[in-house]
Amino acid sequence: MNILSIQGLQKRFGEKSVLRGVDLEVPQGSIFGFIGKNGAGKTTTMKTVLGLLRADAGEILVNGQPVQYGQTSTNRAIGYLPDVPEFYPFMTPREYLALCGESLGMPRASIKERSEELLTLVGLAEEKHRIRGFSRGMKQRLCIAQALLGNPLLLICDEPTSALDPVGRKEILDILLSVRTQTTVLFSTHILSDVERICTDVAFLNDGKIAMQGTVASLKVLHPTQDIQVELHNPEDATRLLAAFPAATRTDQATLTLHGDEQLMHTLLSFVTQQQLSVTRIERLEPTLESLFMEVVS
Amino acid sequence: MRAYLAFFKKELLEYSRSGKLILFGILFVLFGIMNPAIAKLTPWLMETMAAELAQSGMSVTAIEPDAMASWVQFFKNIPMALIVFVLVMSNIFTKEYASGTLILMLTKGVARYKVCLAKASALLLLWTMGYAVCFAVTYVYTDYFWDQSILHHLVPTVLHWYLFGVFCICLVLLFSTIVNTQTTVLLFTGATVLTSYLAGMLPKIKHLMPTALMNSAALLVGKETPQDYLPAIILTLTLSCAALIAAIPLFNKKAL
Repeated sequence: MNILSIQGLQKRFGEKSVLRGVDLEVPQGSIFGFIGKNGAGKTTTMKTVLGLLRADAGEILVNGQPVQYGQTSTNRAIGYLPDVPEFYPFMTPREYLALCGESLGMPRASIKERSEELLTLVGLAEEKHRIRGFSRGMKQRLCIAQALLGNPLLLICDEPTSALDPVGRKEILDILLSVRTQTTVLFSTHILSDVERICTDVAFLNDGKIAMQGTVASLKVLHPTQDIQVELHNPEDATRLLAAFPAATRTDQATLTLHGDEQLMHTLLSFVTQQQLSVTRIERLEPTLESLFMEVVS
Repeated sequence: MRAYLAFFKKELLEYSRSGKLILFGILFVLFGIMNPAIAKLTPWLMETMAAELAQSGMSVTAIEPDAMASWVQFFKNIPMALIVFVLVMSNIFTKEYASGTLILMLTKGVARYKVCLAKASALLLLWTMGYAVCFAVTYVYTDYFWDQSILHHLVPTVLHWYLFGVFCICLVLLFSTIVNTQTTVLLFTGATVLTSYLAGMLPKIKHLMPTALMNSAALLVGKETPQDYLPAIILTLTLSCAALIAAIPLFNKKAL
Protein backbone atom coordinates (compact mmCIF):
# COMPACT_ATOMS: atom_id res chain seq x y z
CA MET A 1 0.00 0.00 0.00
CA ASN A 2 1.31 3.43 -0.94
CA ILE A 3 0.76 6.22 1.54
CA LEU A 4 1.61 8.83 -1.06
CA SER A 5 1.16 8.52 -4.77
CA ILE A 6 1.98 11.22 -7.30
CA GLN A 7 1.07 10.90 -10.98
CA GLY A 8 2.32 13.21 -13.72
CA LEU A 9 2.83 16.23 -11.47
CA GLN A 10 3.73 19.39 -13.36
CA LYS A 11 4.49 22.85 -12.05
CA ARG A 12 5.93 25.91 -13.68
CA PHE A 13 6.84 29.29 -12.24
CA GLY A 14 6.51 31.81 -15.03
CA GLU A 15 8.75 30.68 -17.84
CA LYS A 16 10.56 28.13 -15.73
CA SER A 17 9.22 24.60 -15.75
CA VAL A 18 10.25 23.09 -12.43
CA LEU A 19 8.36 19.79 -12.38
CA ARG A 20 7.80 18.05 -15.69
CA GLY A 21 5.75 14.99 -14.91
CA VAL A 22 6.84 13.63 -11.54
CA ASP A 23 5.63 10.09 -10.74
CA LEU A 24 6.35 8.96 -7.23
CA GLU A 25 5.12 6.12 -5.03
CA VAL A 26 5.95 6.14 -1.34
CA PRO A 27 5.27 2.75 0.30
CA GLN A 28 3.84 2.66 3.82
CA GLY A 29 6.39 2.09 6.54
CA SER A 30 9.39 3.23 4.54
CA ILE A 31 11.91 5.94 5.23
CA PHE A 32 11.93 7.47 1.80
CA GLY A 33 14.90 9.57 0.70
CA PHE A 34 13.91 12.18 -1.89
CA ILE A 35 17.18 13.18 -3.47
CA GLY A 36 18.00 15.97 -5.87
CA LYS A 37 20.32 18.87 -6.47
CA ASN A 38 19.57 22.28 -4.98
CA GLY A 39 16.77 23.76 -7.04
CA ALA A 40 15.73 20.39 -8.48
CA GLY A 41 12.14 20.91 -7.30
CA LYS A 42 12.08 18.90 -4.08
CA THR A 43 10.46 21.66 -2.02
CA THR A 44 8.02 22.46 -4.83
CA THR A 45 6.93 18.82 -4.93
CA MET A 46 6.46 18.72 -1.16
CA LYS A 47 4.58 22.01 -0.99
CA THR A 48 2.23 20.79 -3.71
CA VAL A 49 1.60 17.61 -1.72
CA LEU A 50 0.74 19.85 1.24
CA GLY A 51 -1.74 21.87 -0.82
CA LEU A 52 0.33 25.03 -0.43
CA LEU A 53 1.06 25.31 -4.16
CA ARG A 54 -1.30 24.76 -7.03
CA ALA A 55 -0.27 21.94 -9.40
CA ASP A 56 -0.46 22.77 -13.12
CA ALA A 57 -1.20 19.14 -13.95
CA GLY A 58 -1.17 15.73 -12.32
CA GLU A 59 -2.77 14.01 -9.38
CA ILE A 60 -1.63 13.54 -5.82
CA LEU A 61 -3.18 11.02 -3.45
CA VAL A 62 -2.41 11.02 0.26
CA ASN A 63 -3.63 7.83 1.85
CA GLY A 64 -5.99 7.43 -1.10
CA GLN A 65 -7.47 10.95 -0.79
CA PRO A 66 -6.84 13.52 -3.54
CA VAL A 67 -5.00 16.69 -2.52
CA GLN A 68 -6.79 19.95 -3.28
CA TYR A 69 -4.97 23.27 -3.35
CA GLY A 70 -5.90 25.60 -0.49
CA GLN A 71 -8.22 23.08 1.19
CA THR A 72 -5.84 21.12 3.32
CA SER A 73 -7.97 18.36 4.82
CA THR A 74 -5.53 15.70 3.53
CA ASN A 75 -2.94 17.37 5.73
CA ARG A 76 -4.51 15.75 8.77
CA ALA A 77 -2.71 12.58 7.71
CA ILE A 78 0.57 14.46 7.27
CA GLY A 79 3.16 15.87 9.62
CA TYR A 80 5.34 18.50 7.99
CA LEU A 81 8.84 19.70 8.76
CA PRO A 82 9.88 22.68 6.64
CA ASP A 83 13.60 23.30 6.05
CA VAL A 84 13.63 26.38 8.29
CA PRO A 85 10.67 26.06 10.66
CA GLU A 86 9.18 29.24 12.11
CA PHE A 87 7.12 29.25 15.28
CA TYR A 88 5.28 31.90 17.25
CA PRO A 89 8.21 33.20 19.28
CA PHE A 90 6.05 34.36 22.19
CA MET A 91 4.96 30.82 23.04
CA THR A 92 6.61 28.05 25.01
CA PRO A 93 7.00 24.63 23.35
CA ARG A 94 4.11 23.24 25.39
CA GLU A 95 1.81 26.11 24.47
CA TYR A 96 2.74 25.70 20.82
CA LEU A 97 2.03 21.97 20.87
CA ALA A 98 -1.28 22.69 22.61
CA LEU A 99 -2.21 25.10 19.79
CA CYS A 100 -1.25 22.46 17.22
CA GLY A 101 -3.24 19.78 19.06
CA GLU A 102 -6.34 21.99 19.26
CA SER A 103 -5.95 22.78 15.56
CA LEU A 104 -5.89 19.07 14.86
CA GLY A 105 -8.98 18.59 17.00
CA MET A 106 -7.27 16.24 19.46
CA PRO A 107 -8.86 15.67 22.88
CA ARG A 108 -7.31 17.80 25.62
CA ALA A 109 -5.97 14.90 27.65
CA SER A 110 -4.25 13.28 24.73
CA ILE A 111 -2.67 16.60 23.68
CA LYS A 112 -1.06 16.83 27.10
CA GLU A 113 0.05 13.22 27.15
CA ARG A 114 1.37 13.22 23.60
CA SER A 115 3.15 16.58 24.09
CA GLU A 116 5.08 15.25 27.06
CA GLU A 117 5.93 12.06 25.21
CA LEU A 118 7.19 13.93 22.15
CA LEU A 119 9.06 16.64 24.03
CA THR A 120 10.90 13.87 25.83
CA LEU A 121 11.60 12.14 22.51
CA VAL A 122 13.13 15.30 21.02
CA GLY A 123 14.90 16.29 24.23
CA LEU A 124 12.95 19.46 25.01
CA ALA A 125 11.01 18.19 28.03
CA GLU A 126 12.92 20.44 30.43
CA GLU A 127 12.63 23.51 28.25
CA LYS A 128 10.39 26.09 29.95
CA HIS A 129 11.51 29.15 27.98
CA ARG A 130 9.71 30.79 25.09
CA ILE A 131 10.66 29.75 21.56
CA ARG A 132 12.15 33.20 20.91
CA GLY A 133 15.55 32.14 22.27
CA PHE A 134 15.76 28.72 20.63
CA SER A 135 18.72 27.63 18.48
CA ARG A 136 18.15 26.27 15.01
CA GLY A 137 18.64 22.70 16.21
CA MET A 138 16.14 23.16 19.02
CA LYS A 139 13.59 24.60 16.59
CA GLN A 140 14.15 21.68 14.26
CA ARG A 141 13.55 19.24 17.12
CA LEU A 142 10.43 21.09 18.24
CA CYS A 143 9.32 20.93 14.64
CA ILE A 144 9.56 17.14 14.68
CA ALA A 145 7.49 17.10 17.85
CA GLN A 146 4.74 19.25 16.29
CA ALA A 147 4.81 17.19 13.12
CA LEU A 148 4.32 13.92 15.02
CA LEU A 149 1.72 15.28 17.43
CA GLY A 150 -1.32 14.05 15.55
CA ASN A 151 0.15 10.60 14.88
CA PRO A 152 0.43 11.33 11.14
CA LEU A 153 0.56 8.50 8.63
CA LEU A 154 3.17 10.38 6.66
CA LEU A 155 5.94 12.64 7.92
CA ILE A 156 7.26 15.00 5.25
CA CYS A 157 10.65 16.52 6.04
CA ASP A 158 12.12 19.15 3.77
CA GLU A 159 15.90 19.00 4.16
CA PRO A 160 15.66 18.60 7.91
CA THR A 161 19.40 18.33 8.42
CA SER A 162 20.82 20.75 5.87
CA ALA A 163 21.20 23.72 8.18
CA LEU A 164 22.50 21.83 11.21
CA ASP A 165 25.92 21.04 12.64
CA PRO A 166 27.05 17.37 12.80
CA VAL A 167 25.71 16.90 16.34
CA GLY A 168 22.34 18.40 15.47
CA ARG A 169 22.20 16.30 12.31
CA LYS A 170 22.89 13.10 14.16
CA GLU A 171 20.15 13.92 16.69
CA ILE A 172 17.58 14.57 13.97
CA LEU A 173 18.48 11.39 12.06
CA ASP A 174 18.30 9.32 15.23
CA ILE A 175 14.85 10.73 15.98
CA LEU A 176 13.65 10.04 12.43
CA LEU A 177 14.99 6.50 12.65
CA SER A 178 13.24 5.96 15.98
CA VAL A 179 9.81 7.06 14.70
CA ARG A 180 9.78 4.73 11.73
CA THR A 181 7.59 2.22 13.52
CA GLN A 182 4.92 4.92 13.97
CA THR A 183 4.90 6.62 10.60
CA THR A 184 6.19 6.67 7.04
CA VAL A 185 8.92 9.26 6.51
CA LEU A 186 9.46 11.15 3.27
CA PHE A 187 12.62 13.11 3.57
CA SER A 188 14.22 15.36 0.99
CA THR A 189 17.91 16.03 1.04
CA HIS A 190 21.07 16.37 -0.94
CA ILE A 191 23.21 14.99 1.85
CA LEU A 192 23.74 11.42 0.67
CA SER A 193 25.37 10.14 3.83
CA ASP A 194 22.15 10.94 5.70
CA VAL A 195 20.18 8.91 3.19
CA GLU A 196 22.63 6.04 3.40
CA ARG A 197 22.26 6.02 7.18
CA ILE A 198 18.52 5.84 7.53
CA CYS A 199 16.61 5.40 4.26
CA THR A 200 15.01 2.20 3.03
CA ASP A 201 13.80 3.65 -0.28
CA VAL A 202 15.04 6.45 -2.47
CA ALA A 203 14.00 8.46 -5.49
CA PHE A 204 16.25 10.76 -7.47
CA LEU A 205 14.66 13.91 -8.85
CA ASN A 206 16.48 15.39 -11.80
CA ASP A 207 15.43 17.74 -14.55
CA GLY A 208 11.86 17.87 -13.22
CA LYS A 209 11.35 14.10 -13.33
CA ILE A 210 12.04 11.09 -11.17
CA ALA A 211 15.14 9.58 -12.75
CA MET A 212 15.34 6.48 -10.56
CA GLN A 213 13.38 5.07 -7.64
CA GLY A 214 13.18 1.93 -5.55
CA THR A 215 14.57 0.37 -2.41
CA VAL A 216 18.19 1.20 -1.71
CA ALA A 217 19.12 -2.50 -2.01
CA SER A 218 17.32 -3.03 -5.34
CA LEU A 219 18.82 0.06 -6.91
CA LYS A 220 22.27 -1.13 -5.97
CA VAL A 221 21.61 -4.50 -7.58
CA LEU A 222 20.05 -2.97 -10.69
CA HIS A 223 22.81 -0.48 -11.19
CA PRO A 224 26.05 -2.33 -10.49
CA THR A 225 29.24 -0.39 -10.82
CA GLN A 226 31.95 -1.33 -13.29
CA ASP A 227 34.65 -1.01 -10.68
CA ILE A 228 36.82 -3.91 -9.49
CA GLN A 229 39.18 -3.52 -6.60
CA VAL A 230 42.19 -5.78 -6.12
CA GLU A 231 44.23 -5.80 -2.96
CA LEU A 232 47.54 -7.62 -3.18
CA HIS A 233 49.71 -9.02 -0.48
CA ASN A 234 52.74 -6.90 -1.35
CA PRO A 235 53.46 -3.72 -3.29
CA GLU A 236 55.73 -5.43 -5.85
CA ASP A 237 52.86 -7.61 -7.07
CA ALA A 238 50.76 -4.48 -7.34
CA THR A 239 53.39 -2.90 -9.56
CA ARG A 240 53.45 -6.00 -11.81
CA LEU A 241 49.68 -5.99 -12.10
CA LEU A 242 49.68 -2.26 -12.89
CA ALA A 243 52.25 -2.88 -15.66
CA ALA A 244 49.90 -5.47 -17.21
CA PHE A 245 46.77 -3.36 -16.77
CA PRO A 246 47.89 0.25 -17.33
CA ALA A 247 44.30 1.57 -17.18
CA ALA A 248 44.08 0.66 -13.50
CA THR A 249 44.51 3.29 -10.82
CA ARG A 250 46.55 2.70 -7.71
CA THR A 251 44.43 3.44 -4.65
CA ASP A 252 47.26 2.81 -2.24
CA GLN A 253 50.57 0.88 -2.22
CA ALA A 254 49.05 -2.57 -2.64
CA THR A 255 45.56 -1.79 -3.94
CA LEU A 256 44.42 -1.17 -7.53
CA THR A 257 41.03 -0.17 -8.91
CA LEU A 258 40.05 -1.22 -12.41
CA HIS A 259 37.08 -0.23 -14.48
CA GLY A 260 35.52 -2.92 -16.66
CA ASP A 261 32.92 -5.65 -17.19
CA GLU A 262 32.86 -9.42 -16.49
CA GLN A 263 35.39 -10.07 -19.25
CA LEU A 264 37.93 -7.92 -17.47
CA MET A 265 37.30 -9.83 -14.25
CA HIS A 266 38.10 -13.12 -16.01
CA THR A 267 41.24 -11.74 -17.64
CA LEU A 268 42.30 -10.37 -14.31
CA LEU A 269 41.74 -13.66 -12.50
CA SER A 270 43.65 -15.67 -15.08
CA PHE A 271 46.54 -13.17 -15.00
CA VAL A 272 46.70 -13.45 -11.23
CA THR A 273 46.79 -17.27 -11.45
CA GLN A 274 49.38 -17.37 -14.25
CA GLN A 275 51.70 -14.91 -12.57
CA GLN A 276 51.03 -16.48 -9.17
CA LEU A 277 50.44 -13.10 -7.54
CA SER A 278 49.45 -13.29 -3.93
CA VAL A 279 46.07 -11.69 -3.56
CA THR A 280 44.43 -10.58 -0.32
CA ARG A 281 41.09 -9.59 -1.85
CA ILE A 282 39.34 -9.11 -5.19
CA GLU A 283 35.90 -7.56 -5.22
CA ARG A 284 33.42 -5.89 -7.49
CA LEU A 285 32.63 -2.61 -5.74
CA GLU A 286 29.08 -1.96 -4.54
CA PRO A 287 27.51 1.12 -6.05
CA THR A 288 27.23 3.96 -3.56
CA LEU A 289 24.38 6.45 -3.54
CA GLU A 290 26.93 8.96 -4.66
CA SER A 291 27.78 6.97 -7.76
CA LEU A 292 24.06 6.48 -8.47
CA PHE A 293 23.45 10.19 -7.97
CA MET A 294 26.28 11.06 -10.32
CA GLU A 295 24.90 8.63 -12.89
CA VAL A 296 21.50 10.35 -12.62
CA VAL A 297 22.64 13.93 -12.86
CA SER A 298 25.34 13.48 -15.50
CA MET B 1 -14.93 25.45 16.35
CA ARG B 2 -12.00 24.30 18.50
CA ALA B 3 -9.44 25.24 15.90
CA TYR B 4 -11.04 28.68 15.64
CA LEU B 5 -11.02 29.13 19.42
CA ALA B 6 -7.44 27.90 19.69
CA PHE B 7 -6.36 30.38 17.05
CA PHE B 8 -8.37 33.17 18.66
CA LYS B 9 -6.67 32.46 21.98
CA LYS B 10 -3.31 32.49 20.22
CA GLU B 11 -4.05 35.96 18.83
CA LEU B 12 -4.98 37.28 22.27
CA LEU B 13 -1.87 35.69 23.79
CA GLU B 14 0.18 37.43 21.13
CA TYR B 15 -1.41 40.81 21.90
CA SER B 16 -0.66 40.36 25.55
CA ARG B 17 2.90 39.04 25.23
CA SER B 18 4.00 41.35 22.46
CA GLY B 19 2.96 44.34 24.58
CA LYS B 20 0.22 45.47 22.20
CA LEU B 21 -2.44 45.04 24.86
CA ILE B 22 -0.54 47.30 27.25
CA LEU B 23 0.22 49.78 24.48
CA PHE B 24 -3.43 50.16 23.54
CA GLY B 25 -4.52 50.03 27.17
CA ILE B 26 -2.31 53.03 27.93
CA LEU B 27 -3.16 54.78 24.68
CA PHE B 28 -6.92 54.58 25.05
CA VAL B 29 -6.93 55.44 28.75
CA LEU B 30 -4.60 58.35 28.09
CA PHE B 31 -6.76 59.68 25.28
CA GLY B 32 -9.78 59.19 27.51
CA ILE B 33 -8.24 61.31 30.26
CA MET B 34 -6.82 63.90 27.87
CA ASN B 35 -10.22 64.85 26.46
CA PRO B 36 -11.75 66.37 29.60
CA ALA B 37 -8.29 67.44 30.79
CA ILE B 38 -7.63 69.53 27.70
CA ALA B 39 -11.11 71.01 27.88
CA LYS B 40 -10.51 71.87 31.53
CA LEU B 41 -7.03 73.29 30.95
CA THR B 42 -7.64 75.32 27.80
CA PRO B 43 -8.99 78.43 29.60
CA TRP B 44 -6.08 78.38 31.99
CA LEU B 45 -3.62 77.98 29.07
CA MET B 46 -5.28 80.84 27.28
CA GLU B 47 -5.05 82.98 30.35
CA THR B 48 -1.34 82.39 30.80
CA MET B 49 -0.76 83.17 27.16
CA ALA B 50 -3.11 86.16 27.12
CA ALA B 51 -0.39 88.74 27.64
CA GLU B 52 1.70 87.33 24.82
CA LEU B 53 -1.28 87.11 22.50
CA ALA B 54 -2.29 90.65 23.35
CA GLN B 55 1.10 91.85 22.18
CA SER B 56 0.52 90.28 18.81
CA GLY B 57 -2.83 91.96 18.62
CA MET B 58 -5.13 89.18 19.73
CA SER B 59 -7.42 89.67 22.63
CA VAL B 60 -8.54 86.73 24.68
CA THR B 61 -11.91 86.70 26.30
CA ALA B 62 -12.76 84.28 29.06
CA ILE B 63 -13.84 80.85 27.84
CA GLU B 64 -16.04 78.73 30.00
CA PRO B 65 -15.27 75.03 29.34
CA ASP B 66 -18.22 72.66 29.18
CA ALA B 67 -19.11 69.08 28.33
CA MET B 68 -19.20 69.96 24.65
CA ALA B 69 -15.54 71.01 24.70
CA SER B 70 -14.60 67.69 26.26
CA TRP B 71 -16.48 65.65 23.65
CA VAL B 72 -15.14 67.77 20.81
CA GLN B 73 -11.69 66.78 22.06
CA PHE B 74 -12.81 63.14 22.12
CA PHE B 75 -13.73 63.26 18.46
CA LYS B 76 -10.45 65.01 17.68
CA ASN B 77 -8.42 62.33 19.44
CA ILE B 78 -10.24 59.24 18.24
CA PRO B 79 -8.94 59.58 14.64
CA MET B 80 -5.43 59.65 16.05
CA ALA B 81 -6.10 56.52 18.12
CA LEU B 82 -7.60 54.80 15.08
CA ILE B 83 -4.58 55.68 12.95
CA VAL B 84 -2.21 54.29 15.58
CA PHE B 85 -4.38 51.19 15.89
CA VAL B 86 -4.38 50.55 12.14
CA LEU B 87 -0.65 51.29 11.82
CA VAL B 88 0.28 48.87 14.60
CA MET B 89 -2.20 46.12 13.73
CA SER B 90 -2.02 46.16 9.95
CA ASN B 91 0.70 43.50 9.96
CA ILE B 92 -1.62 40.94 11.53
CA PHE B 93 -1.42 38.77 8.41
CA THR B 94 1.64 40.10 6.61
CA LYS B 95 3.92 39.33 9.57
CA GLU B 96 2.86 35.70 9.37
CA TYR B 97 3.36 35.63 5.60
CA ALA B 98 6.88 36.99 5.97
CA SER B 99 7.94 34.66 8.78
CA GLY B 100 6.15 31.58 7.45
CA THR B 101 4.51 30.82 10.81
CA LEU B 102 1.13 30.17 9.17
CA ILE B 103 2.51 27.34 7.05
CA LEU B 104 2.86 24.96 9.98
CA MET B 105 -0.66 25.78 11.18
CA LEU B 106 -2.23 25.31 7.76
CA THR B 107 -0.35 22.08 7.19
CA LYS B 108 -2.12 20.85 10.32
CA GLY B 109 -5.29 20.90 8.27
CA VAL B 110 -6.74 24.04 9.88
CA ALA B 111 -9.32 25.46 7.50
CA ARG B 112 -8.13 28.82 6.30
CA TYR B 113 -11.42 30.59 6.94
CA LYS B 114 -11.05 29.79 10.63
CA VAL B 115 -7.68 31.53 10.71
CA CYS B 116 -9.23 34.49 8.95
CA LEU B 117 -12.21 34.69 11.30
CA ALA B 118 -10.06 34.23 14.41
CA LYS B 119 -7.86 37.12 13.39
CA ALA B 120 -10.84 39.29 12.50
CA SER B 121 -12.61 38.66 15.80
CA ALA B 122 -9.48 39.23 17.88
CA LEU B 123 -8.82 42.51 16.09
CA LEU B 124 -12.42 43.69 16.44
CA LEU B 125 -12.44 42.70 20.10
CA LEU B 126 -9.31 44.76 20.75
CA TRP B 127 -10.80 47.79 18.97
CA THR B 128 -14.11 47.42 20.81
CA MET B 129 -12.43 47.16 24.21
CA GLY B 130 -10.07 50.05 23.55
CA TYR B 131 -12.84 52.27 22.23
CA ALA B 132 -15.11 51.36 25.14
CA VAL B 133 -12.39 52.19 27.67
CA CYS B 134 -11.65 55.53 25.99
CA PHE B 135 -15.35 56.37 25.93
CA ALA B 136 -15.92 55.31 29.53
CA VAL B 137 -13.01 57.34 30.88
CA THR B 138 -14.05 60.46 28.97
CA TYR B 139 -17.67 59.99 30.00
CA VAL B 140 -16.94 59.58 33.70
CA TYR B 141 -14.60 62.59 33.91
CA THR B 142 -16.83 64.81 31.79
CA ASP B 143 -19.79 63.86 33.90
CA TYR B 144 -17.84 64.70 37.04
CA PHE B 145 -16.84 68.17 35.83
CA TRP B 146 -19.80 69.35 33.78
CA ASP B 147 -23.42 68.95 32.97
CA GLN B 148 -23.76 66.63 29.98
CA SER B 149 -27.41 67.39 29.31
CA ILE B 150 -26.38 70.07 26.79
CA LEU B 151 -25.25 67.32 24.42
CA HIS B 152 -27.49 65.94 21.72
CA HIS B 153 -27.25 62.35 20.47
CA LEU B 154 -23.98 61.50 22.24
CA VAL B 155 -24.40 57.73 22.00
CA PRO B 156 -25.18 57.64 18.23
CA THR B 157 -22.25 59.97 17.54
CA VAL B 158 -19.91 57.75 19.54
CA LEU B 159 -21.21 54.65 17.78
CA HIS B 160 -20.64 56.26 14.37
CA TRP B 161 -16.96 56.60 15.06
CA TYR B 162 -16.82 53.09 16.42
CA LEU B 163 -18.42 51.80 13.24
CA PHE B 164 -15.97 53.77 11.13
CA GLY B 165 -13.15 52.03 13.04
CA VAL B 166 -14.74 48.65 12.32
CA PHE B 167 -14.90 49.60 8.63
CA CYS B 168 -11.16 50.45 8.58
CA ILE B 169 -10.32 47.16 10.34
CA CYS B 170 -12.34 45.17 7.81
CA LEU B 171 -10.45 46.95 5.04
CA VAL B 172 -7.13 45.98 6.66
CA LEU B 173 -8.31 42.37 6.81
CA LEU B 174 -9.46 42.38 3.20
CA PHE B 175 -6.28 43.90 1.80
CA SER B 176 -4.16 41.60 3.98
CA THR B 177 -5.56 38.63 2.08
CA ILE B 178 -4.73 40.24 -1.27
CA VAL B 179 -1.27 41.75 -0.86
CA ASN B 180 1.81 40.55 0.98
CA THR B 181 3.36 43.51 2.77
CA GLN B 182 2.21 45.79 5.55
CA THR B 183 3.04 48.90 3.54
CA THR B 184 0.74 47.87 0.71
CA VAL B 185 -2.03 46.96 3.15
CA LEU B 186 -1.76 50.45 4.66
CA LEU B 187 -1.58 52.05 1.25
CA PHE B 188 -4.75 50.35 0.00
CA THR B 189 -6.62 50.99 3.25
CA GLY B 190 -5.61 54.64 3.19
CA ALA B 191 -6.53 54.94 -0.49
CA THR B 192 -10.00 53.49 0.14
CA VAL B 193 -10.68 55.86 3.03
CA LEU B 194 -9.41 58.77 0.90
CA THR B 195 -11.67 57.74 -1.98
CA SER B 196 -14.64 57.71 0.36
CA TYR B 197 -13.59 61.12 1.70
CA LEU B 198 -13.23 62.62 -1.78
CA ALA B 199 -16.53 61.10 -2.92
CA GLY B 200 -18.05 62.67 0.18
CA MET B 201 -17.35 66.08 -1.35
CA LEU B 202 -19.99 65.47 -3.98
CA PRO B 203 -23.20 66.80 -2.45
CA LYS B 204 -25.35 64.09 -4.03
CA ILE B 205 -23.65 61.12 -2.33
CA LYS B 206 -22.19 62.97 0.64
CA HIS B 207 -24.61 61.44 3.12
CA LEU B 208 -23.90 57.91 1.83
CA MET B 209 -20.16 57.66 2.33
CA PRO B 210 -18.62 55.89 5.35
CA THR B 211 -16.53 58.99 5.95
CA ALA B 212 -19.78 60.87 6.66
CA LEU B 213 -19.71 59.05 9.99
CA MET B 214 -16.68 61.13 10.92
CA ASN B 215 -18.78 64.32 11.15
CA SER B 216 -19.66 64.51 14.80
CA ALA B 217 -20.21 68.19 15.44
CA ALA B 218 -23.56 68.66 13.69
CA LEU B 219 -25.09 65.71 15.50
CA LEU B 220 -23.73 66.69 18.92
CA VAL B 221 -25.17 70.20 18.81
CA GLY B 222 -28.46 68.87 17.55
CA LYS B 223 -28.35 70.37 14.05
CA GLU B 224 -28.86 66.92 12.57
CA THR B 225 -30.63 63.80 13.72
CA PRO B 226 -29.34 60.21 13.80
CA GLN B 227 -31.79 59.37 10.99
CA ASP B 228 -29.77 61.58 8.65
CA TYR B 229 -26.89 59.13 9.02
CA LEU B 230 -28.86 55.99 8.33
CA PRO B 231 -27.72 55.65 4.68
CA ALA B 232 -24.06 56.02 5.66
CA ILE B 233 -24.49 53.48 8.47
CA ILE B 234 -26.13 50.96 6.16
CA LEU B 235 -23.49 51.37 3.48
CA THR B 236 -20.63 51.17 5.98
CA LEU B 237 -22.05 48.03 7.57
CA THR B 238 -22.62 46.47 4.14
CA LEU B 239 -19.11 47.30 2.96
CA SER B 240 -17.55 46.00 6.19
CA CYS B 241 -19.41 42.71 5.94
CA ALA B 242 -18.63 42.45 2.23
CA ALA B 243 -14.92 43.04 2.93
CA LEU B 244 -14.93 40.26 5.55
CA ILE B 245 -16.86 37.86 3.36
CA ALA B 246 -14.62 38.56 0.36
CA ALA B 247 -11.51 38.07 2.49
CA ILE B 248 -12.32 34.39 3.08
CA PRO B 249 -12.26 33.06 -0.52
CA LEU B 250 -9.33 35.37 -1.31
CA PHE B 251 -7.37 33.96 1.61
CA ASN B 252 -8.33 30.42 0.57
CA LYS B 253 -6.69 30.98 -2.81
CA LYS B 254 -3.64 32.77 -1.52
CA ALA B 255 -0.29 31.11 -2.25
CA LEU B 256 1.81 31.01 0.92
